[in-house]
Amino acid sequence: MNLTLRIWRQNGPTAQGRLVEYRVEDISPDISFLEMLDVLNENLAKKGEQSVAFDSDCREGICGMCSLVINGQAHGPERATATCQLHMRKFKDGDIITVEPFRAKAFPSVKDLVVDRSAFDRVLAAGGFISVNTGNAVDGNAVLISKDRAERAMDAAACIGCGACVAACPNASAMLFVSAKVSQYSLLPQGQPEREKRVLAMRKAMDAEGFGNCSNETECEAACPKEIKMSNIARLNREYLRATLLSE
Amino acid sequence: MRCLGDFFSSSIGRKISVAAAGLLLCCFLITHLAGNLLLLAGEGTFNHYAEVLEANPLLPAAEIGLALIFLLHIMVSLKLKYENRRARPVPYVVQKGKGGRSWGSRAMLVSGLLLLAFLVIHVKTFRFTEHRESLYRHVFDAFQNKVYTLFYVAAMIGLGLHLSHGFQSALRTFGVGHSRAMSAIKRTGLILSAAIAAGFALLPLWFGFMAGGAR
Ligand code: HEM
Ligand code: SF4
Ligand code: FES
Repeated sequence: MNLTLRIWRQNGPTAQGRLVEYRVEDISPDISFLEMLDVLNENLAKKGEQSVAFDSDCREGICGMCSLVINGQAHGPERATATCQLHMRKFKDGDIITVEPFRAKAFPSVKDLVVDRSAFDRVLAAGGFISVNTGNAVDGNAVLISKDRAERAMDAAACIGCGACVAACPNASAMLFVSAKVSQYSLLPQGQPEREKRVLAMRKAMDAEGFGNCSNETECEAACPKEIKMSNIARLNREYLRATLLSE
Repeated sequence: MRCLGDFFSSSIGRKISVAAAGLLLCCFLITHLAGNLLLLAGEGTFNHYAEVLEANPLLPAAEIGLALIFLLHIMVSLKLKYENRRARPVPYVVQKGKGGRSWGSRAMLVSGLLLLAFLVIHVKTFRFTEHRESLYRHVFDAFQNKVYTLFYVAAMIGLGLHLSHGFQSALRTFGVGHSRAMSAIKRTGLILSAAIAAGFALLPLWFGFMAGGAR
């Protein structure tokens, strides 16, 4: 298939960016979107032009490194699919495809389609962990967890930290990501000792990064490649309210 | 309780304040609507209701409370919206989304501002005004102005839109939002917002267009 790409090119963090048009030809419908960009970059390299910078790592939908807003949709048109798992057969021959970076004040531009998502790392460092004393490993079955809780915690833990929720949110809010991280611990016994401290600290770190405020638009849920649910955001609100009232 | 200061400066805490004020305003709207509908019961009944209400010594305190709730809702929600704009300084060239947003959620700011404009005019027309003869007559006369009547109805459509998103959003903000409860909450919100908007819009339509010679 032959395609016209309009790709956001930006030379550096403070440079003025703009959409630049490229043609790619004979693209196999079986390759992924990122492989199609690899083809474009090879063509550019042959012509001696600067290749397009974009992020990726595992290319199997588990690391959260790929990004991109494709035709106005974070991770492209498919539901529950990261850009690296998006195949060209989802597009038609002759399509014009606009590719932009994830845009948010808290995700400053690095170059072209690459943005700095380390804000997420700082929010995690503030409380996205449990503290465990060293010593003998505890017996695996000593702490009972109901199947239902374990499932919900696992669902929340599926978040790969890609940032599509921020990119898709009209307010650039990070609530879906933070709520997934708070939920995965608050649902499990291991998360209880630091339950209040965690949510208070992660809330503070989240606000300090300059993300917007959630207005329950649900665009995050629709864009999330791991189908993290809005109910986690409700839980984060609940956990925060609870911690505000209970912590001494 | 040490973190109460944190709460009111935090994103979530301020969201909860807007939602609490919004839900209190919904409660007010329901009582207000119930009172208004007495207009349909005739001049005597409505004027009697108005007299009893105005004779209540606690009314001024309630009015001040209501004004403060409005003020809180408006100021905090506008601040949140302003911050949201700033959270994405470079806009998308193409923005399509994946179908999460509703008409109501898109229109929150516009419908809110329409309600604010309506509120100012509404309070001026019906609260800070002299109605020596009868409040019923006063309402009747006000709705003979077709432009005002249509503006009133438009504002009520705005109210319906505002609440169609606002009600369910406020409950989510309070932490109610299991996947199973949510569909019931959404349905309740839609029915409630349609009922409130239609109820309020009924009166200007009735007095402005139907009950023409009934005075
Ligand atoms: C007639 C009375 C009103 C009622 C019953 C009402 C109700 C609500 C409710 C329930 C919410 C949802 C809160 C949440 O998302 O958690 C809301 C949000 C909002 N309201 Fe109102 N509202 C009223 C008047 C106004 C007015 C006069 C404005 C003027 C600007 C306004 C502006 C907003 C905005 C901008 C939001 C969205 C806040 C956000 O995105 O976080 N509202 N309202
Ligand atoms: S919640 Fe979903 S969209 Fe957001 S960072 Fe996690 S995986 Fe990505
Ligand atoms: S590259 Fe790892 S999730 Fe897409």
